Amino acid sequence: MRKLVYILFFMVLASNAQTKMSTSEASALKATVKALSDETETITADFVQYKHLDFLSSDIESKGKLAFKSPSMVKWEYVKPFAYSVLFKNETLFINDNGNKSDMDMGSNKIFKQLNQLITASIKGDMFDASEFEVSYFKKDGNSEVHFNPKDKQFAEFIKSFHITFNKKGEVQEVKMIEPSDDYTQIVFSNRTTNQPLSDAVFAQ
Amino acid sequence: MRYLLSSLLLVLFVSCVSYPKKNGFIASARQPIQNPYFSDASKDYVYKANIEAFGNSLSGIFIVKKLGEDHHRIAFTTEMGNKIFDFTFEEEDFKVNHILKKMDKKILINVLKNDFRVLVKEKPSVENGFRKDSGSIYETQIGNKKYYHFLSEEKLNKVVRVGNGKGKVEFTFSEINDNIAQHIQILHKNIKLKISLKSISYEKL
Repeated sequence: MRKLVYILFFMVLASNAQTKMSTSEASALKATVKALSDETETITADFVQYKHLDFLSSDIESKGKLAFKSPSMVKWEYVKPFAYSVLFKNETLFINDNGNKSDMDMGSNKIFKQLNQLITASIKGDMFDASEFEVSYFKKDGNSEVHFNPKDKQFAEFIKSFHITFNKKGEVQEVKMIEPSDDYTQIVFSNRTTNQPLSDAVFAQ
Repeated sequence: MRYLLSSLLLVLFVSCVSYPKKNGFIASARQPIQNPYFSDASKDYVYKANIEAFGNSLSGIFIVKKLGEDHHRIAFTTEMGNKIFDFTFEEEDFKVNHILKKMDKKILINVLKNDFRVLVKEKPSVENGFRKDSGSIYETQIGNKKYYHFLSEEKLNKVVRVGNGKGKVEFTFSEINDNIAQHIQILHKNIKLKISLKSISYEKL
């Protein structure tokens, strides 16, 4: 019985094990992601977002669709349980809140620029050289997990750490934004398609 | 001079006539009342929120959790999960767990504190009772402020904070279903502030 407990305990440890990558492993991951990113013109995917707040009984779930067109047009569209979309296009953030439209110029806003960078990265993953973040590489459950910690204090007020999980092909599977309080937002992607023609109408606001 | 004095007295007298009496209610017995809308500690209360403040509009997710007797947590995040503010109400205590630097202003926090305390106060102390037809009004005290709780068919549907005989802030609870107010509005009459909350039932997706 005691043995069983030990084995179980060990298994739990093993499945959560997160080991730091060697320099060569990290370079290999960077190369894979970069190569995939370079040949990616468009991406569509479904996503489920889990908002974790420590004091809640369960995470708040929302579902939606994502569309990306190179180099930097991104649309996050929440479908359930509310209709809400944000579109990043030409340094402007367009919001459609269930029919109520508004927009915001991001050009002059440092925080928004970094946010946009993270968002694009969370889809393509290719931001390892960004000087604004401290980057570290881990192996986890056969996948790769990269942590981006913002250096900028103002930005760190919002996000303490940003984690991207890549599958073996170098595709982004999951993104986790951790707040200074350790509450987090986790976004899990599915049904990913790449390089399918995407009409501009998708990005019209 | 005398004329001025008597008109001053008259003004004083008129403004002393209580708010319910002005609205045709007659005095009745006072009895304990209950605001049941955030009273179930097993529930996570989640609302889609729209805050219109001084010409700006802000939308997001409004979350209320009862953590114990007279103990609630209230948080507001963007749709994408970034926390905007996070408050704790415990008996007479109030704590700011987090607020965006841009919003960290004493006046604003005070307004939000007073408003949200009314939302989560389950058993306000009742000072007086009034009746008209099938409705009742109870004069209550929350914090150091005076309120009127309106009940129709024993259900709380409105709370008004009164100053100088006039409603200054109006809270309305509508589309009530199984002790959940699907729609809540907080409307300030003396400052440009309106908070609209719409319940999100996020049954497991």
